[in-house]
Amino acid sequence: MPTHSDPAKLKAARESLLGRPELVGAPLRKALTELYDRWLTGLVPKVPGVALVAVGGLGRREPAPYSDLDLMLVHSGRTGQVAEIADAIWYPVWDAKVGLDHSVRTVEQALAVAKEDLKAALGLLYTRHIAGDVALTGRLRDAVLEAWRADAVRRLPELLAAVRERWVAHGEAAFLLEPQLKESRGGLRDVHALQALAAAQLADWPSGAVGAAYGALLDVRGELHRRAGRPQDRLVLQEQAGIASVLGHADDTSLLRAVSESARTVAFAVDTAWRRVDTELATRRSRWRGRRRSPERRPLAAGVVEQDGEVVLARDADPWSDPGLMLRAAAAAARSGRPLAPFALSRLATESAPLPEPWPADARDSLVALLSAGRPALPVLEALDQAGLMVRLIPEWEQVRFLPQHNAIHRFTVDRHLMETAAAATELARRVARPDLLVLGAFLHDIGKGFPGDHSRSGAEVARRVAVRLGLPAADVETVQAMARWHLLLPDTATHRDLEDPATVRVVTDAVSGSSGLLELLHALAQADARATGPGVWTEWKAGLITDLVRRAARALTGAPPPGPTELAPAVAELAAVGELAVRLDGDQVTVVAPDARGLLSRTAGVLALHLLDVRAADIRTLGETAVNVFVVAPRFGRPPDPALLRDDLRRALAGMLPLGDRIAAKEAAYPTSSGAAIGPPPRVLWLDDAATDATVLELRAADAVGLLYRVTAALERCAVDVRAARLETLGGAVVDAFYLVGSDGKPLLDGVVRSGIEEAVLAATGS
Amino acid sequence: MRLVTAIVKPFKLDDVKHALETLGVHGLTVSEVQGFGRQKGHTEVYRGAEYTVDFVPKVRVEVLVDDHDAERVVDALITAARTGKIGDGKVWVTPVETLVRVRTGERGADAL
Repeated sequence: MPTHSDPAKLKAARESLLGRPELVGAPLRKALTELYDRWLTGLVPKVPGVALVAVGGLGRREPAPYSDLDLMLVHSGRTGQVAEIADAIWYPVWDAKVGLDHSVRTVEQALAVAKEDLKAALGLLYTRHIAGDVALTGRLRDAVLEAWRADAVRRLPELLAAVRERWVAHGEAAFLLEPQLKESRGGLRDVHALQALAAAQLADWPSGAVGAAYGALLDVRGELHRRAGRPQDRLVLQEQAGIASVLGHADDTSLLRAVSESARTVAFAVDTAWRRVDTELATRRSRWRGRRRSPERRPLAAGVVEQDGEVVLARDADPWSDPGLMLRAAAAAARSGRPLAPFALSRLATESAPLPEPWPADARDSLVALLSAGRPALPVLEALDQAGLMVRLIPEWEQVRFLPQHNAIHRFTVDRHLMETAAAATELARRVARPDLLVLGAFLHDIGKGFPGDHSRSGAEVARRVAVRLGLPAADVETVQAMARWHLLLPDTATHRDLEDPATVRVVTDAVSGSSGLLELLHALAQADARATGPGVWTEWKAGLITDLVRRAARALTGAPPPGPTELAPAVAELAAVGELAVRLDGDQVTVVAPDARGLLSRTAGVLALHLLDVRAADIRTLGETAVNVFVVAPRFGRPPDPALLRDDLRRALAGMLPLGDRIAAKEAAYPTSSGAAIGPPPRVLWLDDAATDATVLELRAADAVGLLYRVTAALERCAVDVRAARLETLGGAVVDAFYLVGSDGKPLLDGVVRSGIEEAVLAATGS
Repeated sequence: MRLVTAIVKPFKLDDVKHALETLGVHGLTVSEVQGFGRQKGHTEVYRGAEYTVDFVPKVRVEVLVDDHDAERVVDALITAARTGKIGDGKVWVTPVETLVRVRTGERGADAL
């Protein structure tokens, strides 16, 4: 046996490499590869028909200090002494106490194994010659790659299933405080999956940002092995500071941030690649069947179209002249549950004009609509972040990006925790009167963690700055600021103070400045925050204490008087005085004055829906015998309808000459709001008894949809109640509509049976 | 050895912890529990909806002590947890047959 292949020497040589502090990262991997290659070459006799090849990590020239050597002895099947040759290689490796993953196969046997075993197939993609018969290695390589390409359509679903299974078992590297560098989502194995797609010629070889992220993860793993002295891939807390200093990071936080960023880059690339693969495979399959697919396009919002399962920009969309397009596209993607196409994303990133400050209302609405989409918003927010758009929208976001939290109860980095909290908050949207402020407050509540000082205080300042930039009205800015400032108030007080003590209740009522609206927002935020922190943080125990505290505080708050009626614009007042049918279009405002009659409201709403006008807000009132209905509308696809046409349709509808029901049903079918499941929690009806004296107030909280107002008002009319007045608001995809109802006798509705009949009809009309 | 178990109001936990520390108690186990005693569950009306509060949230504190320390620990617990109102909780003491520290295998009072 040649002296340089002495087992003792391999171990000593490896330890001496690992003892050289300047050998870090790629140079260490290169040195290890050269050491193993050189040493192994000395073990292989020069016999034709036998070759030693490296597969897996050594095949990629990326061995980690203590990872197994993946080796295969390939033979032609005609050599008699294969067993002896194999023993002469494997025993020294074992004796050197280096982990070994070995096999002895002919090319045909290797192919057969690869066909059955996905893991073996993936490892074989990196076949690399070490010693022996070069031609044999070449034959194996070619055959393996050819088989992989030919079999791609069959193998890829299997690969995807394996990837998903791994993700479930090991979580997401980017958000874990002790990520598994190899197996977690965004880890090294995901890059190997990308490489497998590239080998099947279904994706580009991962390079650029993904290549750099991969290198960074390999570096961390190398140091982790070195420090642990064994093959360990979970980046445990106690090793983080040491690895950080070796790899030139300021501290462990900076290291975790870098790992998180790399993992996100990889995870995003994997998602994008799988979508491409799906489309590509579908095209291939249909090509075999001899059919040509033409792309299916479906409009989602102004300038935004769904095509082949992805959200793309319309042909005439221009991000530069339409700065709201970015958020509109993002909201449309989240609400339809489809991903933003990479090309659309890169166009938005490079061509978008900056949003003016304060933001225009449509951009603000889109942001709320995006956040209100719940969990489907998460991948979209991730996509925006990957493209650098989150920081452009909210510069303060930079401070919390990838920011780890050194707290055992937290599962996620700060930025992801904020996204998760907003998603959890949407589940509670029907519990509050202002679902828009709930998701905004949830999204910003911990933003102070990226700033010095107590995070509730600094966060309140940052939240205020952001809210002002978003163009929220002053009162709403204050609410969002107070949500960040007091987001820990309820859980802290409920678990640490005596709830029986009036002073405890006073702490809460003082903090919310007497606002029951803020109290209910804080209550929902506390729950969403806990849910988004980690498993077991929101317990029935804690919920019980907090609910008790909120109930006591709510009782102590005197209800604020409902806002009085706003003044009519002089022009509208003039029309109302005349009392005849009049339709007025003024910017985004549609005013309909008509003699009051049952059916007027639903028909008006129906015509607006027919013209694809979304009702953003409405003020419905009855002055004597005249109904004065003012709607603030937004054209769904950017183009306002022809006023003359709208007016004609309104007149025909009011005269009962337009089959509204059928026409609206057809519209709804043409523009489904999402890909199936309804957005957000189920709708809710509340009876607010103390809100008015001469009428009963029914408040509907539901997800917005085409024709919703038409269906709900029609349902109310069928129940033979009159809508005396109404105040309607659409808050980023959710509606909060208050209807002031009276019975046919003109009196408030007090009867429980009547109420439940109405409630049922209204809920049925929401289509849920 | 004795196991002292106390059920106290959640907001009293910090006081209890502090009182035990001054007595030189090195370790305790805390769990979030729910239940009811004479206080019972009650029904409340909140925003028009009726809530039945079946169980009251409490904290359960468990302390292992030497026989001769038990009485002092009980007294400290009672003093720290008392508000004088209904629902202050209970404290009880049970004898412990065997005690082993998992890491070292120490037994009896050595494992405290």
